Amino acid sequence: MNAVQTFKLTKEFDGLVAVNGVDLEIKKGELFSLLGPNGAGKTTTIRMLCCLLKPTRGTASILGHDVVRVPFAVKKLIGVSPQDTILSERLNCWENLALIGKVHGLSSNEVKERSKELLETMGLMERAKDQVRKFSGGMKRRLSIAMALVPDPQVLFLDEPTLGLDPQARRTIWEYIAGLKGKKTILLTTHYMEEADFLSERIGIIDEGRVVALGTSQELKTNLIEMRSMVVSTENLTAEVLEDLRNRYSRLEKVKGRLKIYHKDLDFKEIVDYLHSRGVTVYSAALEQPTLEDVFIQITGKRLRD
Amino acid sequence: MKFWEIGKRNLKEIYRNPVLLGFLLGMPLAFMLVFCAAAGGGQASPIAMSIVDEDHSQTSSAFIQYLGSIEAIELNEPIYSEKSQAQEDLEDGRISFYLFIPSGFEEAKQAQQTVNLDLAYKAANPMIGLQLKPMIEAVGSEFLGMAPPLNVELKGTEGKIKNEVVNFYFPGIAVFGLMILIATGAEIIAGDRERGFLARMLTTPARPSDFILGYSLPFIPVLIVSTLIYLGVGMAMGLTIVGNLGHVFLIFFLIGLCSIGIAMIVGSLIKSESQAGVCWIFIVPLAMISGAWFSTEGMPSAVKSVAGAFPFIHAIDASRAVINGSSLSAIMPDLYWLVGWAVVLFAAGIALFRRTMVS
Repeated sequence: MNAVQTFKLTKEFDGLVAVNGVDLEIKKGELFSLLGPNGAGKTTTIRMLCCLLKPTRGTASILGHDVVRVPFAVKKLIGVSPQDTILSERLNCWENLALIGKVHGLSSNEVKERSKELLETMGLMERAKDQVRKFSGGMKRRLSIAMALVPDPQVLFLDEPTLGLDPQARRTIWEYIAGLKGKKTILLTTHYMEEADFLSERIGIIDEGRVVALGTSQELKTNLIEMRSMVVSTENLTAEVLEDLRNRYSRLEKVKGRLKIYHKDLDFKEIVDYLHSRGVTVYSAALEQPTLEDVFIQITGKRLRD
Repeated sequence: MKFWEIGKRNLKEIYRNPVLLGFLLGMPLAFMLVFCAAAGGGQASPIAMSIVDEDHSQTSSAFIQYLGSIEAIELNEPIYSEKSQAQEDLEDGRISFYLFIPSGFEEAKQAQQTVNLDLAYKAANPMIGLQLKPMIEAVGSEFLGMAPPLNVELKGTEGKIKNEVVNFYFPGIAVFGLMILIATGAEIIAGDRERGFLARMLTTPARPSDFILGYSLPFIPVLIVSTLIYLGVGMAMGLTIVGNLGHVFLIFFLIGLCSIGIAMIVGSLIKSESQAGVCWIFIVPLAMISGAWFSTEGMPSAVKSVAGAFPFIHAIDASRAVINGSSLSAIMPDLYWLVGWAVVLFAAGIALFRRTMVS
């Protein structure tokens, strides 16, 4: 049984299609990311999976429980950290964690133990008795994730967990999420490609409500990028060699005195050998790794942050 | 007991918020101090007086005419000949008070005996009696031109009241204070919706009933504490509760429930916390026409009818009456209004609040 399963999941708002026939299968213990620009339908998908929105069409289930038919069974299994850091601002960390824990039916002792463990892990113990309205954005976010974890959920939804955080705070949260891999099923949404790349076992690229690509980061980059690129620093590059290269490969660019070659089946050795054979001195040569941004552009024709 | 956890959180959010608390408690207290300090002067416009003349003599007619010639007094027509009719009108609210001239008035004058007059008024408005007593005594003595002096016996509870001004203003301002619960409650509910806190809580296994109780019950201790503080401050300023304190509490509790119901309705309908300010559009005018700060006696009947359709005037009238000595039976019509409104408003509040949880 999959931890999260959707079939043709669709949500419309007054005729506007926010999520359009999304099919997902997320295995138990998998860390899956939905990557897409703002307004792509990531949060709407999560809201349907958390029983906050009823799908217009299609189905969704969490560990076999249908989100529409048995929402309370679903809610017992999930933990949610929403996109906006939503806390009770005049409560302290203990009180915020206790609120969620007790609503999930944990005893006072269980709440205390879980809270202590989470506050230590998240580095919040020193400020645990302070009202959270005095906290920085990073601290609030860490507490928000801790709140999602306090009932020890089987499936964790993290909606843009590092949105608006500075790189250091982001890195701290990434490390914590990475530590949960294999222990929890995690569905994470993000529009940061580095985040999806760093954390995810599989990624679904979502745009205009549709999942347009699905796979591991490597699969997406390998299978979907038609042209790869290579950067070469050279000396003695003649016009004749340059012309010859133009005829052999799809595209050629000169960037800051270096040569950039684009081609579908780029062969590193073949290029270096060819240049040597034509008497060109090669100082350095490197194949460029495609990014998820390249994948996104390839599929949608848009940049992620457009 | 999930509702208890939600309720506890909401209560903490209220009492740890000094701005909200200041608003909830500080504003009515400031009103109480300002109004009680500012009041105390005579009434500028003439007082409409009803008279029962049981003596039917030339002397009593002359006395009535004499009273009518005083600038500060305006005589209501007709002059009652039966005390029971006037009492009926007083109880039904058609008149505020009446002066009773008993049979034997002319004889007492001629025999140079002490003349006793009764001034009957609604216990809810003790200030009338106190304003009129010295005036009628002075006018009566002048008309009769004799000693021993005229006595006006007041059919009220003034003897027990330490400070009539406080007894008049306290109930109105306390009810106004409880009306502030509408704005603060709506602000909390709408704010939690706007910030997404409610949505976050809706991803937990809490049931709609837990939310409804969790968002309404915390206001009950707030309402009780507010009432106790108002009573404490009122008593420090000279408030005297002649009637039953428990009945006063009951009235404040019922109007507090009405306010919480309205808060749930408004909080569910508005889109953002800042829109809760819209509550003041009806809180202040309603408080005004309900007699929170001024007597409703002189208001046009149309305005009185509008005020009478809402629960607040009933709470103010009933609490004023009980504080000044009325029994439970005398305020039953007002209590029916309050119970009816509390049930309707709470039911509507629950229905609308529940609707916000479904998308």
